[in-house]
Amino acid sequence: MISVVAYGLTVGAILYIISIGLSLTFGTMRIVNFAHALIYTMGAYVLFTMLRVTGGNFVLAAIVGVAAAVPLAWAIERFVIRRLYGQSIDYAIIGTYAVLLIGVDATKWIWGATPLPLSDPIGKYVNVLGVDLPVYRLVVIALAVLIFAGLELFFRRTVVGKIVVAGLEDKDAVRSLGIRVDSYFSLVFILGSCLAALGGILYAPITTIHPYMGTHVLLLSFAVVLVGGLGSMRGTLVASFALGMVMAVTGRVWGPAAEAMVFAVMAVVLVLKPIEV
Amino acid sequence: MGVALRGAGPILETRGATARFGAFTAVDGASYRLEEGETAGIIGPNGAGKSTFFNLITGLVLPAAGSIHLAGADVTRLPPHRRVKSGLVRTFQLVSVFDALPVLDNLTLAVIHADPSLASGPGFLLGSSRRGGLEEAGVAALDRVGLSAKANWLTSELSYGDKRKLEIGIALALRPRVLLLDEPFAGLSDHEIAEVLRLVKAIQGSLSMVIIEHKISHLLDMVSRLSVMHEGKIIAEGKPATVLEDPTVRRVYWGGGQGRGLVEARGTRKAEA
Repeated sequence: MISVVAYGLTVGAILYIISIGLSLTFGTMRIVNFAHALIYTMGAYVLFTMLRVTGGNFVLAAIVGVAAAVPLAWAIERFVIRRLYGQSIDYAIIGTYAVLLIGVDATKWIWGATPLPLSDPIGKYVNVLGVDLPVYRLVVIALAVLIFAGLELFFRRTVVGKIVVAGLEDKDAVRSLGIRVDSYFSLVFILGSCLAALGGILYAPITTIHPYMGTHVLLLSFAVVLVGGLGSMRGTLVASFALGMVMAVTGRVWGPAAEAMVFAVMAVVLVLKPIEV
Repeated sequence: MGVALRGAGPILETRGATARFGAFTAVDGASYRLEEGETAGIIGPNGAGKSTFFNLITGLVLPAAGSIHLAGADVTRLPPHRRVKSGLVRTFQLVSVFDALPVLDNLTLAVIHADPSLASGPGFLLGSSRRGGLEEAGVAALDRVGLSAKANWLTSELSYGDKRKLEIGIALALRPRVLLLDEPFAGLSDHEIAEVLRLVKAIQGSLSMVIIEHKISHLLDMVSRLSVMHEGKIIAEGKPATVLEDPTVRRVYWGGGQGRGLVEARGTRKAEA
């Protein structure tokens, strides 16, 4: 029971860290960004390489992995997404999906297609109500909560945050304040991408690193964004943990159904609460 | 920053401005002039292209043909935020304030960009929106429209009339030289209309204004010049009394199946094409 809850919370934490960027990108730019999955994957691979370079310093390798997302996200935003503004949403899907496919093949070319295992960077266990839980997973859960708190502060207190919140509501009205709203959206895009990379980094030791890890998690992440509400920061948090628990509980009863159940929940939510775009 | 604000001739001018959405021509070769200090009105049935005309002027829609000039400078290709910095400010037909922010923050965002001296230091944008000069300037702007008591309300909690006042407060905080008001009385109660009217009359003359309005009765005692739009074209222009007697105008309003009298026509919140 405890381990199921812990697993659900861990998956929820990772889903949150990945999905928040996706949700914000959709909310601000109205772009469905498949390239988000590429950044997630790259985060994990850069971590892998940096672990070798640094001789196993996980924190340092993770920081480099997150930082590496900045130029990559900047390039994707500048050369692909910015050209798709105002176009049909289909073009954004095709364009960013193309980036993802090219990226996945580039990953295979650089690192190979064989899954790369990674060991638990902490390797300690803590006994919670008679069950041994990996400390690492608890750290991941705590990080997700910290990131949520940090983003809340950022969006509720800072000038930039408020411009973005206003832009989520009405882009043209922000322009009409004399604010170049697109530059702030680019900033949010890069921030969200860094979080995607962090998601890949944090999940890597729990699973294995492989070229399609991002593609796989992206579908779950879309479910989170749709259930949580497009562009809703708190909705994304609630949906992440709720769907993480759905996966954990279903997985305990019947493993193969774990992910299918996520999409079943998504379908029910969409029927009850259709999306207004 | 953008455009020189002094110059001979009209403060705002469009020459053959045209907006097309696919095969549909929303604004068709509109040539328009606004003199410095003037308050002018634009009327026309729903779908006549009035709001799209504002979108052309402010840059939210790029013209398929024609040009837009602000104080003599061609701003046709200037992005919307740069036009605002040149003194061109608007309000929207459906009141446009930020529901998710506290009331005061709506104004804070406006004063930062109107007064760059408030934005000091590189850490400014990541700093709190509630500090020193910024908060004071916001409260002052809020005071102007009589909403300072509600500074910390969430904007979504305001009545529609208060939101309209807030929107006008935001527009004024941007220090406009040309202010475009898109149906400022639409959806308001008579009491709220009186308050908004008072706000508008208080600033009249100190800047140039164009007001789109359905409630012609409110326009008549404010504007010195009235233009009528119909199917994307400006079909009549001149002194309000003369324009309202124009046979074409009368046909558009009364004979065009609108079924409403000119002066009695109430503003609806129906979105325009």
